Amino acid sequence: MTQCRWCIGLAAAGGAAVALGLAVSPQSALGSLLTAGFWLLGMGLFGIFFVSVQYASGASWSVAFKRVPEAMSSVLPAGSALIAAVLAFAPVVYPWVHEQDHFTGFKRMWLDLPFFLGRAALFLLIWWVFARVIVRYSRLQDMTRDAGLTGRITRVCVGFLVVFAITFSLASFDWIMSLEPHWYSTIFAIYNFAGMFSSGLAALILLLVWLRRTGPLRDFVNEEHFHDLGKLLFGFTTFWMYIWFSQYMLMWYANITEETVYYISRIQRFWGPLFLLNMILNWVFPFFALLPKRVKRTPHLIARVAGVVLIGRWLDLYLMIKPSSAGANPSFAIWDAGALIGSAALFIYLFQRAYRQAAPVPMADPRLEESLHYHN
Amino acid sequence: MTRRVMVGIFNDEQDLLRVTRAVRSQGLPILDVYAPYAVHGLDQAMGLPPSRLPWVCFALGLSGAALKVWFEYWTTAVDWPINVGGKPWDSLPAFVPITFEVMVLFAGLSTVFAFFLVSRLYPGRKAVIANKGTTNDRFALVIEEADAAFDPPQVQRLLESYGAIEVYERAEEEAA
Repeated sequence: MTQCRWCIGLAAAGGAAVALGLAVSPQSALGSLLTAGFWLLGMGLFGIFFVSVQYASGASWSVAFKRVPEAMSSVLPAGSALIAAVLAFAPVVYPWVHEQDHFTGFKRMWLDLPFFLGRAALFLLIWWVFARVIVRYSRLQDMTRDAGLTGRITRVCVGFLVVFAITFSLASFDWIMSLEPHWYSTIFAIYNFAGMFSSGLAALILLLVWLRRTGPLRDFVNEEHFHDLGKLLFGFTTFWMYIWFSQYMLMWYANITEETVYYISRIQRFWGPLFLLNMILNWVFPFFALLPKRVKRTPHLIARVAGVVLIGRWLDLYLMIKPSSAGANPSFAIWDAGALIGSAALFIYLFQRAYRQAAPVPMADPRLEESLHYHN
Repeated sequence: MTRRVMVGIFNDEQDLLRVTRAVRSQGLPILDVYAPYAVHGLDQAMGLPPSRLPWVCFALGLSGAALKVWFEYWTTAVDWPINVGGKPWDSLPAFVPITFEVMVLFAGLSTVFAFFLVSRLYPGRKAVIANKGTTNDRFALVIEEADAAFDPPQVQRLLESYGAIEVYERAEEEAA
């Protein structure tokens, strides 16, 4: 595995494109930046969430490649920085900053700029601290060879899962749903979680295929691991569709103006084809592609499905964020491409840097042996 | 018709997996393997072909969904149209949850019944049990004494070298 040299260049070019956008069309460029920031943050959160779920459930199958999701969590500070950049322009991005008079009661209290920024800072800090502690303990085990550490990490992970459920829900309400403050959906946080988890799995699968081909995990990750990851991806893309539909159907059925406005702006003109493409990339294609056992067990085949899901997540976020400000006929600008390519390059660069800081396989983990010899 | 079989009883699933591989690599015909629970990796060790049940599941799930969409369309739009909230008669989004449930029902039940059918499990069938211990904590490997080249003492030694706690021969009625 050689360090991606041009990744920094690409990330800088993406940053420059977004900076240009900020000068030309701030609202549009900030939407692109929010998409990139939430995507990158989602990758980091997936990493630490995945590790936590494995510890909390006492799973052994994933131990052989545990260092990969751990390294994914190292993008949290960069993702936080992108979100912070968007929030610094909150009056441009979020209409409720100027429309305080339109709200009453709890909503007025909740959508208050200092409170909004304060809890954002708190969420980002909490995630970063948990990620640091879990990864540090896990790496410490390599040196101390202390099997007892596993129990301590498990307790931290269980704590994180509880905190994560609350903070991630509120963060998706705050940063994305409040772009259209009069619209609301109580299932929005789970919908976002489903997208975050399935796209994180897709990224994890791609990284594993790559690391297996280029060396570090060649003798450790086998088709059994891909088979199980494929099953998870199959399950969670379907979960995403289930939640997507749950949100859609209730609003379609009730047909109340303040709810349907969200979908009306997303099925017209420019957005219509993308609205359908979103379902194809995130569910229809992965569902049928992952049905055969052979696809799940063949690295280069499952990698293709994972690539499609990863692109689908981007489109999903784009459709959540962009239509609120762009109207019915937006133009795909250079800062959209810049944010997409730049954040992906940044992700690869930061992942590689973190992955090299520790042994590629946690040799002292008491569950490693089981992970290397298990059958589906 | 009767046939002679050799039964090896084992205490441990790892022994069972190893001996199954060894017996198969020697070309001895394995009639069946009995275990108190599903042993992971046993199907590969026995060299069983992949199960065809997923195809039943897929085909019946798909037909169940298609049938249900047609039925909902027929009941709400053709046979007795009912105006619900001013929506079109054939409102597809409203059909989705029920279509999903019926797909799951068809796929699930058909898989179970197809399994009963191919493994010939039905009420009143006399169970074929290699050894009563396999219903509790023992594993049994049953080898057919297929031809004259079958050398019972040698096979017995092979089974015992893999940790068989008991080996015996017996004649059994061949399933029709």
